[in-house]
Amino acid sequence: MSQLAIAIVLGCCALGAGVAMIAGIGPGIGEGQAVAKACEAIGRQPEAKSEVTSTMIMGCAIAETTGIYALVIAILLIFVAPGSFAAIVKSF
Amino acid sequence: MVKKIDPAVKKETLRIAVGTVLLSGVMELVFILLGKWDLTVLFGNLLGAFAAVLNFFLMGLTVVKCVSLPADKAATKIRISQGTRLLMLAAICGLAALFPKVFNLIAAVIPLLFPRLVIVAWQLFGKKDKPSAAADGAAAETSGEPADETTTEDTEN
Repeated sequence: MSQLAIAIVLGCCALGAGVAMIAGIGPGIGEGQAVAKACEAIGRQPEAKSEVTSTMIMGCAIAETTGIYALVIAILLIFVAPGSFAAIVKSF
Repeated sequence: MVKKIDPAVKKETLRIAVGTVLLSGVMELVFILLGKWDLTVLFGNLLGAFAAVLNFFLMGLTVVKCVSLPADKAATKIRISQGTRLLMLAAICGLAALFPKVFNLIAAVIPLLFPRLVIVAWQLFGKKDKPSAAADGAAAETSGEPADETTTEDTEN
């Protein structure tokens, strides 16, 4: 019975990691749109290229953190959580 | 052939690197206070901080390259770059997880979030750049002409 419970917990951890990584798609789409708009802005106002680039770098870094959160959660679910959950299940 | 790195990327990466080092020091202190510090924490921290700064630097290079492309190509390029960099971070975290006797996984993962903290802290407490001066400097860099001439042309048009 406890073997089955541990197997279910491990499966759920793997599934959770996969679901968490769906959040990695969003920042890519968002950054793509932001950079596309920045290109248009620089096309309209080339003298502001340096300022737009600096702002873009900061904006992309902020946007990308969402993907990194997802990565962190996925890694914790894969490498850290199974051991902890298995210990909890065994203690019952 | 070594390409010239954009000064904006250099400046921002340096700022992020300094902030990440400071926050890494704070994290080490917290581990010491919790009584859980050992060499694996230090190595994990070094690996994570290096990955965070490298990720930011590569993102800056991609953004600089993308702003001179057409909009649709730029969007595609940055999406591909983001996916690749996320895979790179996953590989680095996987490396930390594969060698638990060398790297502490938690200490390797936490520094990945430091660049955001540095940016937010800089926006809250840092000096504000003068936007007009930055724009004038950019105009001078891109056109190779004095900034004042560009602005007079704009006003005439």
